Amino acid sequence: MMEKLLLRNVDKENSHTIDVYLSGGGYRAFKKALKEMTPDDVVEEVKISGLRGRGGAGFPTGMKWEFAAADVKEPKFFVCNADEGEPCTFKDRVIIEKDPHALIEGMLIGAYATGCRYGYIYIRGEYPIGRKILERAIAEAYERGFLGENILGTDFSFDLYVHSGAGAYICGEETALIESLEGKRGEPRIKPPFPVNAGYLWKPTVVNNVETLANVPLIIERGGKWYSQIGSPDCPGPKLFPVSGKVKRPGVYELPMGTPLEEIIFEHAGGIVKDRKLKAVFPGGASSSVLTSEEINVPMDFPSLAKAGTMLGSGAIMVLDETDCIVKATLRLTEFFRHESCGKCTPCREGTDWLVRILRRIEEGKGSEDDLDVILSISETMENSFCGLGMAAHNPAASTVRKFKDEYLLHVKLGRCPFRSV
Amino acid sequence: MTYEEFREEIKKLKASNKYPSLKSYTLPSLWIAEKNFSRIDPEIIRIIAQELELPLVEVEEAARFYAMFHTKEKGKYVIRVCTNLSCMLNGAEDIVSELKRLLGIEVGQTTPDGLFTLEEYECMGLCDGAPALTINEERFLRVKKEELPQILKKFGWKGE
Ligand code: SF4
Ligand code: FES
Repeated sequence: MMEKLLLRNVDKENSHTIDVYLSGGGYRAFKKALKEMTPDDVVEEVKISGLRGRGGAGFPTGMKWEFAAADVKEPKFFVCNADEGEPCTFKDRVIIEKDPHALIEGMLIGAYATGCRYGYIYIRGEYPIGRKILERAIAEAYERGFLGENILGTDFSFDLYVHSGAGAYICGEETALIESLEGKRGEPRIKPPFPVNAGYLWKPTVVNNVETLANVPLIIERGGKWYSQIGSPDCPGPKLFPVSGKVKRPGVYELPMGTPLEEIIFEHAGGIVKDRKLKAVFPGGASSSVLTSEEINVPMDFPSLAKAGTMLGSGAIMVLDETDCIVKATLRLTEFFRHESCGKCTPCREGTDWLVRILRRIEEGKGSEDDLDVILSISETMENSFCGLGMAAHNPAASTVRKFKDEYLLHVKLGRCPFRSV
Repeated sequence: MTYEEFREEIKKLKASNKYPSLKSYTLPSLWIAEKNFSRIDPEIIRIIAQELELPLVEVEEAARFYAMFHTKEKGKYVIRVCTNLSCMLNGAEDIVSELKRLLGIEVGQTTPDGLFTLEEYECMGLCDGAPALTINEERFLRVKKEELPQILKKFGWKGE
């Protein structure tokens, strides 16, 4: 059993308070960075660690910081993306609610390294409890002199605020998030320019996900080299895996990157409810391609999942058992994307709509065999969408049509869903 | 809250100096409205536009874009039932139909006494407690059909 790193505090009583956080060594890493390291040293340490963003894209954090640090426009902003809206992703919620100071400390270190003066935590509107906990934690950090002007008697000043979203999945995309922070509808911008050079109010803006930032104090405290040796070599570190669906013990599990999916489901999450057979797994959130029960012996990291034709995404593992209908599950995920498509570009707006209509008619037993080819061709068109939402929204549909073709055809043949009791 | 009080709240918000741009106060202002009025009406939009020195249409666009803002009348309590994958697999559809039956309304409607609005909602990050629902800011996890009357009674439901 690996030492708990990201979840080291969550089981402590009142883990969200600054006193508990300080007594566990909290803010020590920030003090070390501020007093013993230059901003360049901090960036270097994070680069050595090999930390890659945990929001889904997996971009190297140290590199992002280096770009932001190199930009000279002022002021710079440091934004935490706490808008985890990917279906069945609830890992950041645990850090926000149980260890908010780890997140704040990670932001402070990042802001110091990149020269950011102001920070925002963009939290999804669906997390009102988390918002209150963060606001309180920020107030505590101000009281103890970790935030504000001339922090701990140095030249470094940083103000931090919480900004609440209001129910829009697309705002998890960093440029849409920035638009939303500016008070607009959350629609993605064209990249480049990237936020590190032209983000909030077109000023340099670092956007890092909650889980990513929670790693930062550990890296500074114990060193990038130590960190780089945990888990997979090209994507090191501990990883939070939220597991839900038909498992006996749904929850967030901290394991090294590269832990086999099978082990996560059967050892950590307790296996399938009522000891049924596992049917299918979406291994990386709603936009990942499905894996069958024969394919789950795969290491959970970016490259291994890409090789298996799917992706790590948010690391959200969604498990279906033998009594669940794959068409219905796919329909529900695709409905989600239709609802969340911002409507800016045609392949995504029209594509999600058509997919929902076709999947629904198949699920209702009114589909035809040709519908399956139509799904695959729509899916191809959607690859040309403007942003990641549309480019990935068809993955559940296309992958289940390919891997569970018989189940789709059975719907067509029977003229009804075989899993629904009549 | 009266419109004048609302205007005062926005002035206070601006005085916090939280953002370097007035427009950024749009969502926080809309949140105040969402929490204190039964709907975000044209007058509210006008006040926000005036205080933030924005064209009306920009405020209106934002108010309509985000799922949590109600530009149509809502009840005192908004019930959001998640029906996304993990909740669906764990029986969310039954929860929705039972709530419809108990409250005598369809999804998207408000009870005649103005107490409850019923919404089907996307994943709220409570999937380890599937099926999950929230009533305003309170959350209910691993909800069973039989528990629903009791939950509703907490919020003043007079049925059954
Ligand atoms: S792909 Fe979808 S979400 Fe992205 S810009 Fe196009 S319509 Fe909007
Ligand atoms: S799927 Fe229902 S809360 Fe996530």
